[in-house]
This record gives sequence, C-alpha cells and structure tokens, in this order.
Amino acid sequence: MSEQAVTFSPMPYRRTWQAVKFLTPLLLLVVLWQLIVTLFNVNPRIFPDVPTVVRAGWGTIADGSLISHVGASLWRVSVGTFIGIVTAVPLGIAMGVSRGVSDFLSPLLRFFSVLAGIAWIPIATLWFGYGFGAITFVIFNAVFFIVAYNTLLGVSTIPMPLRHAAASLGVSRWQMLTHVLLPGALPNIVTGIRTGMGFAWRGLIAAEMIATNVGLGYMLFLARDFYRTEVIVFAMIVIGIIWLVLDRLLLAPLERSTIERWGMVQRS
Amino acid sequence: MKSLALENLSKTYFDPYRGTQFTAVKDVSLNVEEGDFVAVVGPSGCGKSTILNMIAGFVPITSGRILVGGREVKGPGPDRGVVFQSFALFPWKTVSENVTFGPKMRGVGKAERAKIAEEYLALAGLSHAADRYPNELSGGMQQRVGVVRALANNPDVLLMDEPFASVDAQTRMTLQEELTRIWEERRPTIVFITHDVSEAVFLANKVVVLSKGNVLEQVDIPLSRPRSWDRLVEDDDFKALSNQVLQLVRSA
Amino acid sequence: MMAIYTLWGYYARWTARWPMLAAFIPFIPLIAIWAFIVWLELFPRVFLPGPLDVIGKAWELTYKGILGDYLIDSLSRLAVGAAAGIAIAIPLGIFIGLNKRAHEFSWPILLFFQAIGDIAWLPILLVWFGFGLTTMTFVIVYTVLFPIVLNTVLGIRSAKPDLHRAAQSLGAPRGRILLEVTLPGALPNIITGLRNGLGYGWRALIAAEIIVGTSGIGFLMFDARRAGSVDEIVVGMIVLGILWYIVDSWLLAPIERATGERWGLVTK
Repeated sequence: MSEQAVTFSPMPYRRTWQAVKFLTPLLLLVVLWQLIVTLFNVNPRIFPDVPTVVRAGWGTIADGSLISHVGASLWRVSVGTFIGIVTAVPLGIAMGVSRGVSDFLSPLLRFFSVLAGIAWIPIATLWFGYGFGAITFVIFNAVFFIVAYNTLLGVSTIPMPLRHAAASLGVSRWQMLTHVLLPGALPNIVTGIRTGMGFAWRGLIAAEMIATNVGLGYMLFLARDFYRTEVIVFAMIVIGIIWLVLDRLLLAPLERSTIERWGMVQRS
Repeated sequence: MKSLALENLSKTYFDPYRGTQFTAVKDVSLNVEEGDFVAVVGPSGCGKSTILNMIAGFVPITSGRILVGGREVKGPGPDRGVVFQSFALFPWKTVSENVTFGPKMRGVGKAERAKIAEEYLALAGLSHAADRYPNELSGGMQQRVGVVRALANNPDVLLMDEPFASVDAQTRMTLQEELTRIWEERRPTIVFITHDVSEAVFLANKVVVLSKGNVLEQVDIPLSRPRSWDRLVEDDDFKALSNQVLQLVRSA
Repeated sequence: MMAIYTLWGYYARWTARWPMLAAFIPFIPLIAIWAFIVWLELFPRVFLPGPLDVIGKAWELTYKGILGDYLIDSLSRLAVGAAAGIAIAIPLGIFIGLNKRAHEFSWPILLFFQAIGDIAWLPILLVWFGFGLTTMTFVIVYTVLFPIVLNTVLGIRSAKPDLHRAAQSLGAPRGRILLEVTLPGALPNIITGLRNGLGYGWRALIAAEIIVGTSGIGFLMFDARRAGSVDEIVVGMIVLGILWYIVDSWLLAPIERATGERWGLVTK
C-alpha cells in the first residue's frame, strides 16, 4: 500500500483527450466521404462533395437564413418542452400520491404517451393552423405525456419507508412534496424529459416539413424541392450536431447525475 | 485435489489518473498442503483479495510464481474453482444448470451431468430447488449453489473470496458449519479469504494474517473436528485462538 | 362520495380477478368526459367530433375496407423494416460491444447518425429513391437500427465481471462464454433497445406516410386533414394508439418481464 509519486499528470488533459477521441472518427468519416465522392465521381445531385457542402453551409450562415431556421426550431422546442414539463410534473405527482389513483390512470397515460408526437400532427394543424401553434403543440404533447407518465412512475416507486420516515420526522404536506416526492421522482422525471425530447425533436423536424415556412425541417424540405442536396446534407449535419449537443452535453449528464449519484436506479 | 504454493508473489498497481503506483501485495510466499484448509485474514486493503484474484488468474502477476500441484499456472482455469462474494451465479440458468456449468464446458454428456447435479445438490441440501432460478432463492441458498458449482467441477484448489460476507448472521453460521462438514467429507484444498476473525478460526486448519501486502504471521488452529458453533462458542481454546488472531489483525 | 367508493370496490375486485380489465376500464370515464365536452358544444363539431361520430366513421372505413387495407400496409412496412433492422443491428452491436477498437471508433459515429434522426433523412431519400417503398423501408430500418445497436453494445459492455470470471474459472472457452454468459446478460438491454427502436420506428413510419405516403394509417390521417375530416383523423389516432398499446404491452413488455424480471436483472 505504499504510495509513490510518479512524474505523470494526465488528469487536466482528460477532457481534451476525450473530445479528441470522440471527434477523430468523425473527421475520418468526412475524409472517407470526400475520397468516395472523388474516386467514384459521384453525381453532386446524388451526393455532393465536402467543399460544396461547406460552401452551401457558409452561404446559409452569411445570408442569415441558418440562424433564423435554427432559432425558430430551438424556440419552438424550448416553449413546447417548458410548457410540457411545468404541466406534466405537478400532474404526475398529484396522480402518484395514491396507489389506487396511479394504477387506475396509468393505462390512460401509457395510451397517450405511445401516441405522443408525430401522430398529432394532422389534428394539431387542423386545430391551430399551419405554423408556430401546431408545431409547439406537437412538441408539448410529446413531452407532456411521457414526462407525466414517468413522474407518476417515479412517485409510485418511492419506497414506502422513506415516506414513513419523513412523516415520523414531522414534515408538513408541502415539505413532503418538496423534500421527498419531488427529489424521489426526479431520476424518472429526467429520464422522461430525455425520452420525451427525443420524440419531440423528431416530431419537430417532421412537423416543420409539413406545417411551416421556417425551421430546420422546412429548410430541408425546401432544399429538396430545388434538388439542392448540398443544403440538405448541411442541414442534416446541423440537426445531428444540435441534437448531439442537447442530448449528450445537457440531458445525458443531467440524467446520470441524478441516477448515479443517488444510486437510486440500477443502470441498465 | 492438489497442493498450492505461492512463491515471492508481488502485485503493483499503477493509477494513470493520479499518476501514482502502489504495491498491493509484496513478496508473499505461502504453502498450502494438499487437502488443507487455509484462511487468510487481514484488515481491508491488506491485499488479501488481490492475492486470491492472482491465484484465480483474474489479475496478472507483477512478479513471482503460483504453483498448483507443482505446476505453474497463468490465467484462469478449471483447476482452481472460485466462490465469489457476489455469488456470481448465472441468473439465466437454473440451479442445476449452474451447478453443471463446468462439466458441460468440459463436454460431459447430459446423463452424466444429471448425475452430477443430483449428487451436488444433495450435498448442498438443495435437491428441491434444482429447477429454480438464482433470483428466486435466498442469499444463503444462492451461495450454497455457488460452493457446489465450484466443487462439481472437480478443481484442484478451491478459492473462496469472502463467500459468506453478504448473508445474514444466522445463515452465515449454518453455511460455515456446512462448509466444515463438506471439507471433512471430501478434503478439498481450500484458500478462504475473510475479514471475520472468528470465521477464519472456526473454519481453517491454519490462519494467515496479512498486513500491508505482507504475511504477518501464520497461526495453526489445532481445534478438533467436527466443529460446531454450539460447542466452540463456549470453547476456551477457540476463544484464545480467536483472541490471538484478533490481536494480530488489529496490530496489522 | 359513497357511490364512488362502491364503484371503486367493484373496480378493485374485478381487476383483481381479470387484470386485463385494468387496461380498459379507465378509458370509460375518459370517453364519457369527451362526450360531455362535445355535448356542451364548447368547440365546433368540425374541430372536435364526438365519440359516436368517430365510431361511425371507423365503421364506415372498415366497411369500405380502407381501414383494413391501410392497417395491413402500415404493419407490413413496419414488420419488414423492423426485421431488416434487427437482423443488421444485433450482430453489429455484438461485434462493436466485444471489440474495444471498433467501439472506440464507431461509438461517436453511431451517436452522430442517431442524432440526425430518421425523419431528417426523408428529403435526401426522396431525391435518391423518389416517393416509394424504398424510401419508407430505409427510414424504418435506419430508425430501428440505432437504439438496438447502442443498447446491445451497452448490454455487452456492462456485463458483470464476476460472471465472466466465474465462467472462466469453470473452464469455459471464449466462444462459450459469449454464448452462455455475455449474450444472455445483454439480453435485457437488447430487448429494451428493441422496444425503443420499434417505438421510434413506428413514429418514423407515420411521419413517412404523412410526407411521402400513398397508403397507410399516416396517409389516411393526413389525407383526412386535407379533406378537413376530423373524425377520420381521430379514427387514425385511436387505431395507432390501440395498435401500439397491443404490441407494446402484450408482446414486448411480457418478453421483457419473462427474461429480465425472472432472472432478477431488472428491478421492478
């Protein structure tokens, strides 16, 4: 057990190293893409080469259209998700307080959470017309039912001894809510948000293809109308990057921090 | 069953994130006679689990040799059966499938395996649970399966890594008595790792006390067999030996 | 109040005897509330049809044979796409999960392509393959693929080291360890991946049918949207919900329970 210092201190570089390890395969893929396009002389209508896509991307940045599409998409997602979470969590907790109520209502929530998202596009466009309302509704809807169901699940899986312990320590109803029920359900809530947003993001792209004139989905679909494959590929990359950043750098760490630190749920 | 010898065994770990290395096991030599029962005790972090993992072949040796029946061994092999603290039963296999896993891997036929399962399940008193899944058994029953699974593979040496640490106190005493009974019947060579001094004294013929990766002392346990807690709990020799080992561990 | 308790008592007894009922009874009050809101005429009928309108429409569509045909179209697309996806995904996942190099290289690429999402592929697929079956099959295979690959990899890599060690010290050769220890250990993850993959794939199918479709439930709904026939949209949504509910709770969930829970790998 004798510890000896060795001149080696890789710790500060660990994050950088991880980023490099993550990005290298993707860069290799870009190189491969360019090689294939050049070697096999691929028709740019079918698949453009790297410089063309970069130029197209630069074009959308320079004329400001990329910013407005991305901005519109992110704004819709934020609004829809926010409304979804603030309505779903209280509802889920209220329903989860009694075992009987939660058993009774969970088939309903499951039914609607399997329907959530894309299947609502036709009726949403009918109710709200084409545009912001319909798209935000689809996102809200994808987040709402899945988060509510997961909150319910979270509250009903809080071990009874925990509630009893809190009660015998003399907490009020409000304290029970804020100190036991909410934190206890949090891992499930966060998982629900992550899943719900996954469906919402896809729903957004689909809805924007159908029901609007601004946003990433629209950008893709518009480019298709003019056979601008370089813009399509660029938009796909942007969509990929945004979701990767959102999911891996925001949602996944959030999920990990609640689940793993508290050791509440076994990682599958 | 065969003898086991450790010759100048050492293990050094390197921690790349902290940039330090430490020696978990330092120059340990130990002889276990054929059919002997040796318990290794020591405070946590003394290197006892590392030694067992090296004997089992799960972690590479930094220097030294391990001999089973005079032959040097490297890597895991069926000559050294292992009983784990976590039981390590295959959750998707029934009790009898778990017990006959080793023979099956060696290509033993179905009829023969059924006989083996019958014999060893009877030895563990688990004949009624043959077709149940591990998850459906209590911790004590699971570890009984763990022990006979290792035995059913006819190992030369049986390695036990704090096998009873995660069962309740009552069950632990029963399992300890059953283990001594099995040992007396079949005389396997056993290396038993534990941090529980009275467990070590109760079970073994010899207790090895480890300290900071070294062998501090070897204590012979000349208590008569068969051993039972009813008798030994009042036994002065048992108390004296336990106390002696306990003092050694606490000074370690 | 008494009446509610009496009803609750009946409900509890019935569902205890026939657990299947618990999946249906909660919908009765929901439909009643729906009928009540429609009866109040808070919203015009063209926006919110009543349960009877929807049932009538469903009967009409069934009678004409449209609903049955479209349902079979959608299901067979999903089945073909899912089967192809599974056939590629599981071997790929096993390979990546076992091979450290392959894992390091392919993990970022897998995450990135999963992040692009199925629906964003539609425009370029339309350029490549036009409006047709190839496009739809591609989208479903793509969607089903990633969750299964990622979860299979996760399952294989999160195998318990003690089980591997136990198998080794019982004399199992590498191939047998893979077959008897690693794969069964990864099975719950694989099934979770399958469940997620089909959940995403099914939504992708709806989106694809809405955007490129000439038949199928998604097309039925969007066609109804164009015609302004809201009761037909609701029929489509209900059919989708029931369908997925059946697949998920009578097919996928029992498999999950039979493996994971019996073996004690999933804590429920």
